[in-house]
Amino acid sequence: MFTWKKKGKVFTPQAVEGRSWLKEFAQAPATLVFDDFVRVYFSCRPPADANGQYVSYSAYVDLDRQDLFKVLRVSDNPILGLGGLGEFDEFGTYPVSVIRTGNEVRAYYAGWTRCESVPFNVAIGCAVSRDDGKTFTKLGTGPVIGYSPDEPFVLSGPKIRRFNDTWYLWYIAGRKWKVADGRAEPVYKIRMATSSDGIHWNKLNKDLIESRIEEDEAQASPDVFHANGKYHMFFCYRYSSNYRGKANGYRIGYASSSNLTDWVRDDAKAGIDVSEQGWDAEMISYPHVFELDGKTRLFYLGDQVGRHGFGLAELDGTLA
Amino acid sequence: MKLKKLGKIFDPTQHRLPNACVQFAQSPQALVFDDFVRIYFSTRAVDTTNGKYLSHIAFVDMRKDLREIIRVSQETVIPLGGLGCFDEHGIFPMNVMRHGDRIYGYTCGWNRRVSVSVDTGIGLAVSSDDGLTFQRLGEGPVLSASLHEPCLVGDGFVKVVGDTFHMWYIFGTGWKRFASDTPPDRTYKIGHAVSKNGIDWVKEEARQIISDRLGPDESQALPTVVQIGERHHMFFCYRESFDFRTANKRGYRIGHAYSDDLLHWTRDDANPQLEIGDGEWDSEMQCYPHAFECDGRYYLLYNGNEFGRHGFGLAEIEAEA
Repeated sequence: MFTWKKKGKVFTPQAVEGRSWLKEFAQAPATLVFDDFVRVYFSCRPPADANGQYVSYSAYVDLDRQDLFKVLRVSDNPILGLGGLGEFDEFGTYPVSVIRTGNEVRAYYAGWTRCESVPFNVAIGCAVSRDDGKTFTKLGTGPVIGYSPDEPFVLSGPKIRRFNDTWYLWYIAGRKWKVADGRAEPVYKIRMATSSDGIHWNKLNKDLIESRIEEDEAQASPDVFHANGKYHMFFCYRYSSNYRGKANGYRIGYASSSNLTDWVRDDAKAGIDVSEQGWDAEMISYPHVFELDGKTRLFYLGDQVGRHGFGLAELDGTLA
Repeated sequence: MKLKKLGKIFDPTQHRLPNACVQFAQSPQALVFDDFVRIYFSTRAVDTTNGKYLSHIAFVDMRKDLREIIRVSQETVIPLGGLGCFDEHGIFPMNVMRHGDRIYGYTCGWNRRVSVSVDTGIGLAVSSDDGLTFQRLGEGPVLSASLHEPCLVGDGFVKVVGDTFHMWYIFGTGWKRFASDTPPDRTYKIGHAVSKNGIDWVKEEARQIISDRLGPDESQALPTVVQIGERHHMFFCYRESFDFRTANKRGYRIGHAYSDDLLHWTRDDANPQLEIGDGEWDSEMQCYPHAFECDGRYYLLYNGNEFGRHGFGLAEIEAEA
């Protein structure tokens, strides 16, 4: 079992002032490391509209590399605009995952639209930055990962990586919409696609992580990290219904693989759980593992899936 | 080349239809058997929860004179998609094609949105019982929105030429509110994709293969391709993207293009042209063409006024002597 030492909450979105598009939530942290600071992309929301509906934006916060609890700056604007009328990302660009390629930074993001019979649908888009990740331009008005026979809806939570010159995208794909108490809730599973250029993708069309707590377990945030000769995946999972509280809410799971396609789940090894009290006492989710200055670190969300921000944990030793 | 009009051949209001459908027999698509022709079409039921329409596939079997009706389907040909799926709120149209001893049905599935009325995708369902029933390959589409085709991928027409599957289809270029007091309208153009197996497709990605006649706000729909001699002929329908529903000459007309290499198409609506006669069933609108060969003759099925509410008709494509 890994041993993560919780270091506390790093970023509180409610503390940011002067941005109409940022009231609360700092979801799905994703890092881009610079010489002096660590840029952490997150997703946030302005107040809900008159019908109680949210849109989501993605932005970044720069943290001091020497002291990740020191906020240097928050982006003045969201890194991406919402899509146009009828486009796949008209009502949200969330979450986002970034990677450097040459002098550019590529962002993969989930775009949200609203539907009549179910509340929403999601597909994955791509954007590029030529100013070190401050602003991004969408590569097109449509998605790079869209719906297909085995992945009919809700393609979200992209995590972009590159290993051995191949681009890998981990993401989630909706399996079914389950109606509970008159409300349609999506069940989704972790999936993967590969590409030689990051634009044209081949889906593996396979659930990577077996379900553990129930058949309709929802899985999210497949965050893959290479260390000590194998691939490690931290992800989060929850029950399919009544998951907005502690009992059925998100927890962080773990799996490992030698070849990136066959994964062995072993949640007992994850080494991080909810706290006795505090900001992450009900649920923990959306893990993101990164290495910085010789230490393996983890950003993750606490209660209400990041409504009040994200926190940091540090690993004792290395992932093996 | 000429189009000789043979009149309306099917009126849905004269028959009992499956799935509690009434009116509409849209986008007829032919499957030729030894001694009859099965013509699939989309008909409509009313969604009891909100009064909106749900399109279902049905068929009529006709003698090869394309006059005498043998039967109208009474069972479900393909059920609508499940909750949240691309084809949850309708299948319109379904293009059918023989492949070995099975029949491939390329569906255009409809699902309702909030900010705009609808989105679509193209699915594949396969029949092993001569087209009586179809089973989906999966719950999702084989062709859907992509980087430069942001919405409304639909109206697939598939044909195997050599060892390549070709699909002509439409993709949305975007939604626009043309007037402050009207809901948003869409514009779509005809595109092309190829495949080795009919399942995994490579799009030309937003290449509009048929030039505009009405300008950028022309919407093009329902491509259908038939080879006559050495030449490939495409029929389709086109209209203005805005204010196209009433009888004001902005509605659908049948267009035509030809190609000798399946890559370059020359638009030539005038040759042949489907005539419009005053006061007839197709006097205000002509749309949703489907070209096919039957016993050495070439035909064009199509809909008339009100997008096919009152049925479909037939014309014979006559090559120049």
